[in-house]
Amino acid sequence: MTPRMQEISQLDRVIHEPARLAIMLILGGVGEADFLYLQREGGFTQGNLSGHLAKLEEAGYVEIEKKFKGKVPLTVCSLTGKGRTAFAEYTNRMLGLLQPNGASDSPRP
Amino acid sequence: MKDNSVVPIASPGQRAASYWFVDGLPDIVLGVTLLIFGALGLWWCLHASKPVTWPDLYFLEAGLILLIWKGREILGLLKSRVTYPRTGYVQPPLDIPDMLIGKPTTLITLSLKPAPPPDENVTRFNTRTVYVVFLWCFLLFGAAANPWKSWYTALVMLPLAVALYAWNRRSERPYPWWSTLILALSGPALLWLDLSPLLQPLLMPLLAGLWLVAQGACTLAGYLRANPYPRAPEGVQA
Repeated sequence: MTPRMQEISQLDRVIHEPARLAIMLILGGVGEADFLYLQREGGFTQGNLSGHLAKLEEAGYVEIEKKFKGKVPLTVCSLTGKGRTAFAEYTNRMLGLLQPNGASDSPRP
Repeated sequence: MKDNSVVPIASPGQRAASYWFVDGLPDIVLGVTLLIFGALGLWWCLHASKPVTWPDLYFLEAGLILLIWKGREILGLLKSRVTYPRTGYVQPPLDIPDMLIGKPTTLITLSLKPAPPPDENVTRFNTRTVYVVFLWCFLLFGAAANPWKSWYTALVMLPLAVALYAWNRRSERPYPWWSTLILALSGPALLWLDLSPLLQPLLMPLLAGLWLVAQGACTLAGYLRANPYPRAPEGVQA
């Protein structure tokens, strides 16, 4: 197995799923967002989003809080420190893998 | 009418910053602020026993800064009733001046929790709109005793409109060209008023405020039409 293939198998599978990747990408860019915004922005159904958020929360990547903005109750989601680190790691790994002559393909000492 | 000034916004952070203006409320709040500033100044000029001087204007300036400073809180309250139940909440964009964009400063790092990257969920609305109008007003006040007299407002509305259009064209809050054209033409349209040079500076914030309120009201009406209030808001159980 080449180093590149090894790196592919080491990708974070929690983040690698497209819907969860979209959630991480949105939350990474905006800071915090509520359930309704994520649902509209990512084109998720309510059940789908709940399921993926639960998995991200279980992994410790996302924090879900019930907050009040004015008198409106909101389910606000944000990335945790662990989530930010994991997402940055995933992004770097993917960028390295997607380079045509990436360093990952060259034999390591 | 097709509006070519609107540029596609790609990243989630830029979309979130753009989302802040989707309901027209920031325009309305700023517009009302300028209207209050202009109306107070006009009232002062008409009723004060002495002519308006620079220190008097500083007093008004302090009031305006207070209103702009508190504007976020007012906006948050309005948005919690209008926007968040309809289309959701996202962290408001950090309002930072252009000169700080892309520079990891202590100011930015300390002021946010959690801190978005400086090129993401940020806006330059204050720098590109509020301060432009405000600065123009000051310049106008400084040159009130000019030889053009009542022509002055008519002449400065054109560069103000061009500046607002050009600086915001590729931002998260672009203004349509036809809208800024209306602002540019509002100055010459009011030439018949023949106001004294002393009152000329106050016409500008009044016109700019009215323009922003009208624009925000149109955006708000479109937003409310497209997003009716949900029957059962999230989190509220019957």
